[in-house]
Amino acid sequence: MAVPVVSVRGLEVTFVGAGRPLTAVRGISFDVAAGEVLGIVGESGSGKSVTSLALTGLLGPNARVRGQISLAGIDVIAADAETLRLMRGRDVGMVFQDPATTLNPVFPVGRQITEGQIAHGTLRPERAPARAAALLREVDVPDPAARISQFPHQFSGGMRQRAVIAMAMAGHPRLIIADEPTTALDVTVQAQVLAVLARRQRETKAAVILITHDLGVIAEVADRVAVMYAGRIVETGPVAEIFRAPRHPYTAALLRSLPRIDADEARLSTIPGQPPHLGRLAGGCSFRPRCPLGQARDICASDPPEHDGVACHFPGEALATLPRPAPSKKPEAQTGSPLLEVADLRVEFPIRTGLLRRQSGTVRAVSGVSLSVWPGETLGLVGESGCGKTTTGRAIMGLIRPTSGSIRFAGQEIGGLPRGAMRRLRRDMQYVFQDPYSSLNPIRTAGEIVAEPLRIHGLHAEMGGDAYVAGLFDRVGLPRATMSRFPREFSGGQRQRIGIARALALQPKLLILDEPVAALDVSIQAQIVNLLKDLQRELGLAYIFIAHDLAVVHHIADRVAVMYLGRIVEESDKATLYARPLHPYTRSLLSAVPLPDPAARGGGRRIILEGDIPSPARPPSGCAFHPRCFRASPLCATDVPAFAAHATLPSLVACHHPMEAAP
Amino acid sequence: MIAYILRRLAQFIPVLLLASLGIWAMIYAVPGSPIGALVGENATPEQIAAITIRLGLDQPILVQYWRWLLAALHGDLGHSIQSREPVLDLIATRIPATLQLGLAATLVGLLVGIPVAVASALKPNSLLDRALSGWSALALGVPTFWLGILLILLFAVHLHWLPSASAYFPLISDPIPALTNLALPALTLGLYISGIFSRFLRAALLGELHADYVRTARSKGLRERDVIGRHVMRNAMLPFVTIVGLSLANFIGGTVITEAVFTYPGLGRLLIQAIGVRDYPLIQGCILFILAIYITINLLVDVLYAYIDPRIDYH
Ligand SMILES: Nc1ncnc2c1ncn2[C@@H]1O[C@H](COP(=O)(O)OP(=O)(O)OP(=O)(O)O)[C@@H](O)[C@H]1O
Ligand code: SF4
Ligand code: SF4
Ligand SMILES: [Mg+2]
Repeated sequence: MAVPVVSVRGLEVTFVGAGRPLTAVRGISFDVAAGEVLGIVGESGSGKSVTSLALTGLLGPNARVRGQISLAGIDVIAADAETLRLMRGRDVGMVFQDPATTLNPVFPVGRQITEGQIAHGTLRPERAPARAAALLREVDVPDPAARISQFPHQFSGGMRQRAVIAMAMAGHPRLIIADEPTTALDVTVQAQVLAVLARRQRETKAAVILITHDLGVIAEVADRVAVMYAGRIVETGPVAEIFRAPRHPYTAALLRSLPRIDADEARLSTIPGQPPHLGRLAGGCSFRPRCPLGQARDICASDPPEHDGVACHFPGEALATLPRPAPSKKPEAQTGSPLLEVADLRVEFPIRTGLLRRQSGTVRAVSGVSLSVWPGETLGLVGESGCGKTTTGRAIMGLIRPTSGSIRFAGQEIGGLPRGAMRRLRRDMQYVFQDPYSSLNPIRTAGEIVAEPLRIHGLHAEMGGDAYVAGLFDRVGLPRATMSRFPREFSGGQRQRIGIARALALQPKLLILDEPVAALDVSIQAQIVNLLKDLQRELGLAYIFIAHDLAVVHHIADRVAVMYLGRIVEESDKATLYARPLHPYTRSLLSAVPLPDPAARGGGRRIILEGDIPSPARPPSGCAFHPRCFRASPLCATDVPAFAAHATLPSLVACHHPMEAAP
Repeated sequence: MIAYILRRLAQFIPVLLLASLGIWAMIYAVPGSPIGALVGENATPEQIAAITIRLGLDQPILVQYWRWLLAALHGDLGHSIQSREPVLDLIATRIPATLQLGLAATLVGLLVGIPVAVASALKPNSLLDRALSGWSALALGVPTFWLGILLILLFAVHLHWLPSASAYFPLISDPIPALTNLALPALTLGLYISGIFSRFLRAALLGELHADYVRTARSKGLRERDVIGRHVMRNAMLPFVTIVGLSLANFIGGTVITEAVFTYPGLGRLLIQAIGVRDYPLIQGCILFILAIYITINLLVDVLYAYIDPRIDYH
């Protein structure tokens, strides 16, 4: 093998601070060669980001780094600040998770793309605009010359991330570190961005470290995989082998806990417990408390396993012990009357401009949505960001006033209810917010946040007080000890669990779950999904499950509605919708889902949609999907297709030329 | 942008109208009368009645207000009861003095506050940071009048470098006396305000330092001084200009005590004198002007804000 671009040996990172020192990375080693993609996968807090920051010398002053890192010939740990600065941008470029915040909002995008090169003296400022435009063109941003002077907020999410990729690649670095680069993006946009990243990587022969928690993405793009757990790499190997025959119990369990659109199981296998607290690791194997094999074996408790491709005393035994999940049962037929009936819901937001704040246009966020939810069932609402899923959910919840349409809950029209009755109803309908960061009050402890709805409704003592709240913490997989901690002390995943615990507190009848597991790790996601299913069965809860992750929806939903630009374009029972999508949009959406199966890679099944979702202020004429549709005819540009029952399948679809064959 | 400024200016008029009505009502709600101060203790009731009628103070309040308003709309704010001079002239002579002091003090505040904040934010919780935070606390904790008197004792009484009472000289025509006279009051106010500025900016900078775009900027290989000086500073400036604008506006009305200590002839002292003798037209005029300056500064802040933050849409 050629000299690796980056070579890491025995890397250890310890954070020192007010409390006890915390070792976040505990002796990891790996190499990445030019042209190779190393996927690092692991749960939140396993040390992936800390590793990537250590590689680039970007850790804060409270980090103590030991071991060896050689990046493009530079000894990163020993190097001085100026050497590291020069290394960044020149030898290594970085792509971060959230394109909404990685760019500075007050500077034009073009300037931010080339600024690094100018700082390195490899680009003269007067050449910068042309260079920025060229770089944007390379990542498929349309009209790059005009785009460079725009600000980040004028870019869509996918375009921003492509701009960040352009920025990372500006200095032709030999290594790209992409930390969750598509986690914040929609599937069709993720497919675009991954395609761009892969193409640019092939063109530049850069080495890539792709950090993600999404095993589907790993299966799709990585050559080799390193699985991290509690600050260690527990298994490494070529991607095909890891997926086919995982040897570490953790890897195996992780793969099993994944909801898949190409399988159908009643329950996800979960990994019991939760990722360990790094400050309180026991001796021996740190996975032991969750390991089905290690429980009865003394050596696992006493000796930490050596890493030799796999860090386990009993490699290879893992797969056999895992139970095969049972296939799911047919959903029971809906009985009785629906819990929630929404008819022709419209939500429009005025756009005001000019001196007199006159209304100059309307954003049709939701334009005529009808849906019903029966007690005890789950309706999955899927679609890309901006398609109106969240607005629909919020309008149902009463957080936004609908422009028109009717919402009936338990037979009562909500619109006309007086305040008190509305408040009473609120208890039966709860909402889990999409954004785990902004939806939690930063100055309240987690315990207070979860108890808040109980206190607001004066039910704290009645429901069992602190003990009940502690029970909610157990349920969502948070240690009770964290009740007195503040939101900022939690990882993104843990924060969303607090939000779910808060919504569960009042034991409602209907939960509107807005991307509830999007921020969770696979193993925790499986726990939460199972938990939601348990609660549903025990309490007869109904869910509206809003998500962009079609695999999760496939697992949890009984019926699925697909939204595009404020409309439901297809609705059916789960099995039919996934097996025989009728709408071209549904079809492309399903094809964009990365399958956790390297063997399925490049099978030509993927339809990469062009462009972004149009603005709901100016929806295209006729079928709103026609500018991106691969089946569009002249009719589609003029006539709005009716949302009607299909001739043979139990589906409703809004398309002039629905797909016929199964995919 | 122009339309935006015009629209904002149009909002002035109702605000000023309401304010004038409010001030008028306030003045009359408080007992006392300007006559006593005007005629002295030995005046006969006849003298008092005559003056009352001459000043129109015998009319119903609303009539008085209406008369004042009509005149004000023609640019006539009436005459001072005390000095008989037009209110507008009296104010016009004081406004440059007050603005000059306000701006000078703000400048001192910025010159001290910004470097202190940046130095603190570069190495948070370091020894330097803690020392500078102590300094800011001191600047805020020491009462202005006390610091003013201390400075007078040191620079005027002891060293004889600077005058103890400050007169107003326009900076443009008489720079040297203007500076020597401005130095002590500007320093007194400026040091105080630097405490506010540095604390606020330090917090804003530290808040921004954790933002994702800072990590991005570093990952591109920018120099740390560019990361802080360009990326972070520009964002931290957003809330900061509001504070600077507010404090500047505050000066216009709030320099009262400092102006009194230094017997500096600004708008604040004019207002105090006017209140002392219940010179209604003068009080009314002073407050209206202070208010107008206040609103103008606010508008400037908003315009600056829109300039710094591209996300603000001023249509
Ligand atoms: N600056 C810091 N100071 C103290 N502890 C830190 C710091 N940065 C990270 N940690 C801790 O180090 C551990 C590993 O964090 P890291 O961000 O690498 O996880 P990750 O694998 O990237 O997780 P995620 O999937 O959530 O991004 C966590 O326990 C975290 O709390
Ligand atoms: S070493 Fe033991 S506890 Fe650890 S993963 Fe292997 S079997 Fe499980
Ligand atoms: S109606 Fe036409 S444009 Fe719309 S989805 Fe169907 S085929 Fe495509
Ligand atoms: Mg991370």
